[in-house]
Amino acid sequence: MSNVLATSVSGLLAFQKALSVTSNNVSNVSTPGYSVESPDFTAQLGVSTSLGNFGNGVDVSGVTRSYSELLAGQMRTSQSSYSSFNAYATTAGSIDNMLSDTSTGLTATLQNFTNSLQTLANAPTQSASGQAVLSSAQTLAQTIQGYASQLSQADQNVEGQISSSVAEINTLASGIATVNGQIAAQSASGQSPNTLLDQRDQLINQLSQYVSVNTATQSDGSLDVFIGSGQSLVTGAVPQTLTAIPNQYNPTQLDVGLSTAGSAGSTVDITGSITGGSLGGLLAVRSQVIDPTLNTLGQLSIGVATIVNQQQAAGLTSSGTQGQPMFAVGPVQVSNSSFNTGTAQVGVTLSNVSALTTDDYTLTNTGGTWQLYDQTQQQAVTMGGDGSAGNPFTAAGLSIVVSGTPGAGDSFLIQPTSQAAAGFGVLLTSPSQIASAAAVQANAAATNTGSGTIAAATVTDPTNPSLLTATNIVFSSPTQYQINGTGTTYAYTPGAAIAANGWTTSISGTPAAGDTFTVSSNAGNTGDNSNLFAIIDGLNTNSLNGGTTSLIGAANTLVSQVGAQTQQAQNNAQAQQAVNTSATDAVNSVSGVNLDEEAANMVKYQQAYQACAQMIQASSQMFTSLLTAITDG
Amino acid sequence: MRVSTLGFQTDASQQMQTLETQISQTQQELSTGLQLQSASDNPAAMSQVNQLNVQISASQQYQTNGSSLNSNLTLEEQSLSDATNVMQSARDLAVEANNASLTSSQRQDIATQLQQLLQQLVSTANSTDSNGNYLFAGEASTTQPFAQSGNSVTYNGSNSVSQVQISSNQRLSSSDSGSSVFMNIPAGNGTFTTAVGAGNSGSATIDAGTVTNASQWVPDTYTITFTDPTDYTVTNSAGTTVTSGTFTSPGSIAFDGISTTVTGTPAAGDTFTVAPAGTSSAFNTLSSLITTLNNPDLSSAQVSTQVGTALEQIDGAISNFGEVSASVGARINAITAANTTAQSQQTTMTASVSTLQDVNYAAATTQLSTEELALQAAQESYASIAKMSLFNYLQ
Repeated sequence: MSNVLATSVSGLLAFQKALSVTSNNVSNVSTPGYSVESPDFTAQLGVSTSLGNFGNGVDVSGVTRSYSELLAGQMRTSQSSYSSFNAYATTAGSIDNMLSDTSTGLTATLQNFTNSLQTLANAPTQSASGQAVLSSAQTLAQTIQGYASQLSQADQNVEGQISSSVAEINTLASGIATVNGQIAAQSASGQSPNTLLDQRDQLINQLSQYVSVNTATQSDGSLDVFIGSGQSLVTGAVPQTLTAIPNQYNPTQLDVGLSTAGSAGSTVDITGSITGGSLGGLLAVRSQVIDPTLNTLGQLSIGVATIVNQQQAAGLTSSGTQGQPMFAVGPVQVSNSSFNTGTAQVGVTLSNVSALTTDDYTLTNTGGTWQLYDQTQQQAVTMGGDGSAGNPFTAAGLSIVVSGTPGAGDSFLIQPTSQAAAGFGVLLTSPSQIASAAAVQANAAATNTGSGTIAAATVTDPTNPSLLTATNIVFSSPTQYQINGTGTTYAYTPGAAIAANGWTTSISGTPAAGDTFTVSSNAGNTGDNSNLFAIIDGLNTNSLNGGTTSLIGAANTLVSQVGAQTQQAQNNAQAQQAVNTSATDAVNSVSGVNLDEEAANMVKYQQAYQACAQMIQASSQMFTSLLTAITDG
Repeated sequence: MRVSTLGFQTDASQQMQTLETQISQTQQELSTGLQLQSASDNPAAMSQVNQLNVQISASQQYQTNGSSLNSNLTLEEQSLSDATNVMQSARDLAVEANNASLTSSQRQDIATQLQQLLQQLVSTANSTDSNGNYLFAGEASTTQPFAQSGNSVTYNGSNSVSQVQISSNQRLSSSDSGSSVFMNIPAGNGTFTTAVGAGNSGSATIDAGTVTNASQWVPDTYTITFTDPTDYTVTNSAGTTVTSGTFTSPGSIAFDGISTTVTGTPAAGDTFTVAPAGTSSAFNTLSSLITTLNNPDLSSAQVSTQVGTALEQIDGAISNFGEVSASVGARINAITAANTTAQSQQTTMTASVSTLQDVNYAAATTQLSTEELALQAAQESYASIAKMSLFNYLQ
């Protein structure tokens, strides 16, 4: 009889514990990261008698949390991907919106500038049309500058988010390390520290939003955490520290460094290894969208400025002087590495717009020789020249002059186009400064008797000091001519180029002896618009990327490329969100609390408890009957 | 599958948020009328839209260029027609003057009338367009091209003319330079000119001549000298005799692929010259005619030859004006043709842009209703399902 009582009491106690597990589950129905728990009922060892083995009741031997390592891992992976694409898509989307305006965007603004030149060409002497050219040039400059400043704003936002993500990752890492320590201590008791495990899982889930995470369980129950391509972030109870470190070339750009606890001062740059999570997305959008967009805008600005400025110099303004540059652009950015030890200086100038790329380069001194490396394409670039002022290194449309003594391994970052857009501006202030007319005119003397005709002269060297000086080409016979009576006689070939004083022309037909042709300043021919057409033709030519892309083409490609990158990131984010949702559902289906289930469990345990209580009463009644029998007997 | 209570709540609210985002997007499309809000909506379409907009904008600019050029060319055509009328009047007067019965004072009267015509011609040649730019100054459009001093007119404009772009691949001359219209008119018959020697005593005249074989013509100044009224020799500038022959009036004298006709009776020693045709200006033609008619000392043969030359040159000028006018007309036609092409291209391109970027209202409205319905269903089902719990029945 005492056995019945003891067995029932064990049931009462067990179902009490079970109800407390259920009530804990119900209480945590809304706790993120909480894994549903269940009591482990174990039948107690029975007593063996000669009549058989009589059970000894029940006990709750432990509380198990419902958890799948595999599903949790899948959820984290998809969370990392989603966060990465989402961070990418958000920043790229803002740049996409900036570039997407079809009426005030880059292509429309460029075309308006060309149109204003056409209008001026209709009446080159109209100063109102000249003013319109300057206005549309201003609009173009403001558009490009505005883009450049919005891009640098976007970059600053990204840098800020990188810093705060790094700080957040460090907080989470030290949280995980602390919990790891507590778990290791509690696991020693043999019971699973469920709440701590949930807490740690929740911390790792949060970490996976910032960076992709891998974990490895240790024998003491602690979990080692790796980020990126396997960099250890938490080992047991010891966290490592991530730091946002200034880029060696550009202190305003932040890289991610990993410093190992205990070995102070050794920070390794792991920027290239960071993948996934918002940090991975931010680093990717910076290197794939923000920087390239700024570089392409720069290339475009350099293209516009070079074409227009060169042609300005080759033309005459209404006052009869050669035109001054219309546009200013920012210079080639050369930054020395903060690790440089030598005194070397690097000067870079643009030499060829067509060969110019949107890539960034590093110039590194390796074993006494300078080597150029294309950072964007990840490949070495062969240079011509020897780097001296007289024979500079040439590559990718750049002329590079190196002076001073380099230290071993010293390097420089060369960004040909990154600053150009920010410095793009209009230099001319008055319509009279626009060089509408060609610099020189070629005429046949009215007294010529031969049939020779002279073609329009083209300026080949606007810097020639004698460009505007009148030059006579005099035929001493139908087959020979002299230039300015200098004594040298040239043989005449119809249609062949005749060059002098920075211009070139040609004569065809049959000139007679004594016929004179003159190339002279075009001053006074204020109705001439041929230089405007030279500018328009230059703007419409495929002048960029080795002569394959026009300015408007490059602008249009930029818009659609950023659009495509954004679209891809948005689509990926959407897809990963769906993956993440189903992974989360899967985790929830294992670990989540279902109230109906808990209600049923509650009823189940309650009924069992009541049954045990009835058993006690039954045993009590049995005892009472026995006592009564004894008393009465 | 087990459904966790928290998971159900989170999923339901997430799905409603997704639906609300879609509704807001569709609403934005409807309110802006654009389905292409940014390049990321459809990068390829955005690229096409930008490209088409650039082409439309350029095409509109070419139309503007064309219409401005058209008005200038119309003005030029008018001026050319005025100039032709002046030369026609001058021709009538020249024909009237080419009459041996006229007295020198009658010729001077005609000269006075010609003086008026010369001034009219100068004024026509100095016409300006609506911007005050000279029509016939070439590229020196702000310089008055023709300056008259007495009867002599000089050209101060430029020989080259500026261009105007009327389509992506067509640039037309915006005008014609004064030198090509008024100054450099081929003199004589275009190949050579003839003249009566200044000291001739005979009455013979020489016509403007014709070219019989252009390939044999050697440009040089030739002198036809009559050794007596029936014999002549032709010498070139080096004094070498080119040909010689006998003469009977009216007789043709031919050499080096050309032929001239001398009419009347030359005196011994009379000379006629044949020189390569330079160019003459319409103004010079009139002013030399005026000088001829004002000169009472000229023989009637000289007057007749010089008036004949003048008539030849006036005809040359009129035909030159005609040629320039024809080229102006051709340019106006080209503008009209380019305009028509531009118009139809713009219509096509605008339609393409609209297809690419404008919202399809019917489709978008239907989509909005569908999305609204979905959201409503999600909300209603959530409201009713969320209430269900076993706990409700455990009283």
